[in-house]
Amino acid sequence: MKLTEGISKDEKKLVRKMFWRSMTMYASVNPVTMGGGGFSYSMMPFINHFYKNEEDRVAALERHTQYFSTTVPCASFIMGIAASMEKENSEKEGFDVESINAIKTSLMGPLAGIGDSLFWGVWRVVSAGLAINLANAGNVLAPIIFLIMFNVPNYLTRYYGGILGYSLGSKYIEKLYANGLIEILTKAASILGLIMVGAMTISMVKFNTTLSFSMKGEELMSVQEILDSIFKGIIPLLVTLGCFKLLDKKVGIIKIIFGIVALGIILSLLKIA
Amino acid sequence: MYDAFVVALAVFVGVAGHEMFGMSMLSRPIVVAPLAGLLMGDIQTGLIIGASLEAIFMGVVNIGISSTAEPALAAGLATAFAIKMGGNVDAVIPIVFPLAVLGLQLLNMIFSFVCGPMATNFLKLAKEGDEKGIVKLHYVIWFVHYGLYALIPFFAVLFGANVVMTVLDSIPPVIMNGLTVAGNLLPAVGMAMLLRMLWSKNLAVWFFFGAVVMAYFELPLIAIAAIGTIIAIVMAQRDLQLKGMQASPAQQGQATTVSGNQEEEDFFQ
Repeated sequence: MKLTEGISKDEKKLVRKMFWRSMTMYASVNPVTMGGGGFSYSMMPFINHFYKNEEDRVAALERHTQYFSTTVPCASFIMGIAASMEKENSEKEGFDVESINAIKTSLMGPLAGIGDSLFWGVWRVVSAGLAINLANAGNVLAPIIFLIMFNVPNYLTRYYGGILGYSLGSKYIEKLYANGLIEILTKAASILGLIMVGAMTISMVKFNTTLSFSMKGEELMSVQEILDSIFKGIIPLLVTLGCFKLLDKKVGIIKIIFGIVALGIILSLLKIA
Repeated sequence: MYDAFVVALAVFVGVAGHEMFGMSMLSRPIVVAPLAGLLMGDIQTGLIIGASLEAIFMGVVNIGISSTAEPALAAGLATAFAIKMGGNVDAVIPIVFPLAVLGLQLLNMIFSFVCGPMATNFLKLAKEGDEKGIVKLHYVIWFVHYGLYALIPFFAVLFGANVVMTVLDSIPPVIMNGLTVAGNLLPAVGMAMLLRMLWSKNLAVWFFFGAVVMAYFELPLIAIAAIGTIIAIVMAQRDLQLKGMQASPAQQGQATTVSGNQEEEDFFQ
């Protein structure tokens, strides 16, 4: 097959291992790293194969435990690319390791957009529609047919996505690196990544205050309206930047999380939110 | 007791299996309800419930914390109650939507306040290079997350839905509201972690660009991704041009020195 051209047998085995592990990416889904735990679990075969040096191994492990979130069927494609970049990093001196996470972050948004609408918007609805008809007719195979119909494309995308990502990465990353184009690519990826993080900050971090100024029982102006007139989503933005500053000052994540929980309860007690 | 156990098992297989086998849709009502029905000895009722709920919840997909209802719990409980009421499907349908909304709230609580704190250990373990620890934690969080969730249908079937509602109602609303407020703010931590990887003084302005576009135009994420891609390509093209311009003066410089040498050679001849 052309897809696996130039990939050694060992590497093919590693991609297959990654494929199986990538199934479980969201098993440890959580608000801190989302699929980060599963991502590093999936990358472990590669990390252990490429890095003989303990220090490099730990650094790679840390890289891939960071926040990661995308539509699961598309995840293995990004893992494949990340793996090919790790290989490049293990072989070349002075590889820009920042580029690995920049590429990951810039890919996860667009792929999630495509994957969500394709798998969950279209294909799941088609499969379920068929299964509902079968179930209404009393066919006991309805759930099984639904699962097979949905999951065959799901698994095929995942399997070939992984191979495609790895072979594309192996083919092009080295060339890009040699031409000095990787810097430009990393910068472009970071720009896209930052735009997506900015958008996700507004769409995923939510806050609404119920506070309002009132006179003689009549509501004069709600504080939320005032906040919105300054800048829509100012609170999510400030909270996110606050967390960013705290992380920068090496405050532990667990402390930040409990801080937010305490903040939520205090705001609720004070009837601010 | 048996009924409570098998309904909990069906819900667990659904929600946990869904995540374990690559978002395989095991948690959909069309799967969970017939499974619960099969285990309770009435697969036909399960199939009918599954078909009706699947149609109701067609538009509901669970993506992390952003959703409206968690249908697996509703499917399991609706099947159990319908079978106990002698196959009366119509009577249970109206109560399942509140159940599903409640189910999602509880699942989000577990997600935010159990999985969140546990997951901070991922970064610690990675720093120590402890791969076995990461793998273990990966599966422990999975089991705790959905195991805790499966306790809800277990007790709900054991005591009946009314008791469950009473217990939940006894939690002060101020605390519940506070937890919801906190849950809505928690994704900020994940965003902050992403920012740490991407932030640089020269590029930070693009973060605000994304925020402004989302806040005021309320575009779908995919549209912002497309705009972002175009911007990234334009910037890359400009960088390529700059790189080309940097390269060419150097060549010209070489050219002049070469010609200078020639002149010198001419002069000395």
